[in-house]
Amino acid sequence: MDEIVTFERALLWLTVFLNGGLLVSLLYRKNHRVVPFFFAYAFLNLLQGFVLFGSYWIWGFASPLSNRIAWATQGLVIIFRALAVAEICRRVLGKYRGIWALAWRMLVATAAVVLLYSWAVAKGSWQFAVLNSDRGLELAIASVIVIFFLFTYHYEVTMETAVRTLTIGFFLYSCFFVLNDTVLEGWSHKYSTLWNLLGALAFVASLMLWNWALWRRLPENAFEPEMLSNGIYRTLAPEINNRLKALNEQLEHFCRAQRNRS
Amino acid sequence: MSLLLYSFFALIGLLLLLFAWSVRSPKRPARRSSSVGAVGECEHKHVTYLPQIRQTFSKADYEFLSKNAPPGVLRRVHRERRRVALAYLEALRDDFQSLLQMARVIAVLSPELEAVHEFERLRLTAKFTCQYQMIRWKLLGGAAPVPQLSGLSDFVSGLSVRMEAAMKELGERAAVAAALASSMNRRGLDAG
Repeated sequence: MDEIVTFERALLWLTVFLNGGLLVSLLYRKNHRVVPFFFAYAFLNLLQGFVLFGSYWIWGFASPLSNRIAWATQGLVIIFRALAVAEICRRVLGKYRGIWALAWRMLVATAAVVLLYSWAVAKGSWQFAVLNSDRGLELAIASVIVIFFLFTYHYEVTMETAVRTLTIGFFLYSCFFVLNDTVLEGWSHKYSTLWNLLGALAFVASLMLWNWALWRRLPENAFEPEMLSNGIYRTLAPEINNRLKALNEQLEHFCRAQRNRS
Repeated sequence: MSLLLYSFFALIGLLLLLFAWSVRSPKRPARRSSSVGAVGECEHKHVTYLPQIRQTFSKADYEFLSKNAPPGVLRRVHRERRRVALAYLEALRDDFQSLLQMARVIAVLSPELEAVHEFERLRLTAKFTCQYQMIRWKLLGGAAPVPQLSGLSDFVSGLSVRMEAAMKELGERAAVAAALASSMNRRGLDAG
């Protein structure tokens, strides 16, 4: 325990306090029914804090056993973080059946490609295997969130402010973690103390965002829009594309006319 | 640190840029509220002014002026032509945006989407945006001369024919458009 510096310890207690507050807020506002995976993620985070605290207390901060426990619990937490992000995506896009069918395939494909990329780029040694998995998953989560936001922007799908803030919290945390893990891999032990500190700071920032976002109760039943019949899309989509193509051709003609003149 | 690891930093930079771009409020044309019906109205407006547009780009007029008018008048005509060309570009963009808006509403309310159509529309949008910005900046900077009728007349006539056909089609689809507008209103209520 002596290795943990005072500031880091204070941060640890702050994360425990904020995480506990988040759980209480989720339960009190009954938001745990609306975002169950997010609730599970927040709960596991808190539990991880206590498990880590206990293991450092018993076996010491630098013990290999504490290290293994830390990474194992981190694996579980990150899986639930990914599930919480998927839950948010579904909440926003799921009510639009056509878009959701396209979106979830795109999101899964993005996550798979990014994970493969992370593994291909990472160092091959076993020493960094857990770190690489962690970074790969965080990078996949960040990429999925960006694609999700691009979808909502492209189709002008409205998003509740609370849900948007939750997602921003996930995105910023994941981005920070990828950068932090990459620097740790590059400079290894020289950076490890700072790595823990910066990671805790990023998590505190995300917890603050989430606490703020879930201060109010989220509506339980998402609105279901009335869908059009299948035939309308099949008839109109190619027709609209043809007309967009015609407008593109007109611009091309405009370009050509300019070139001919000059 | 290997060069490949630096790619992580680049990737995060790219993700942050895309994220910042996608979370900003969408900048849509003012005509958006009447999006579905606007396509037909807009084309109808363009049809009304087609003879004037055609006259503005008349090659014969320009040649006559270059021989007979003083340089000041010629410069003014050139300026006016550039202004008309920009307005024409703007109108094309409005048409494009109205169609995109219509496609967006249909996609949002459809139970099934075909990826081919969606990606094709994305490609066409990217292509149109690039070309539009390139021409616009060239015209604004005075780097490109305003096109003559020799190039434009054909496609303006073609556009006229296409617009007539489109008007007819839109008339036939009035019922569908009304249904869409009603669904959109319901969606708007939800968003509020």
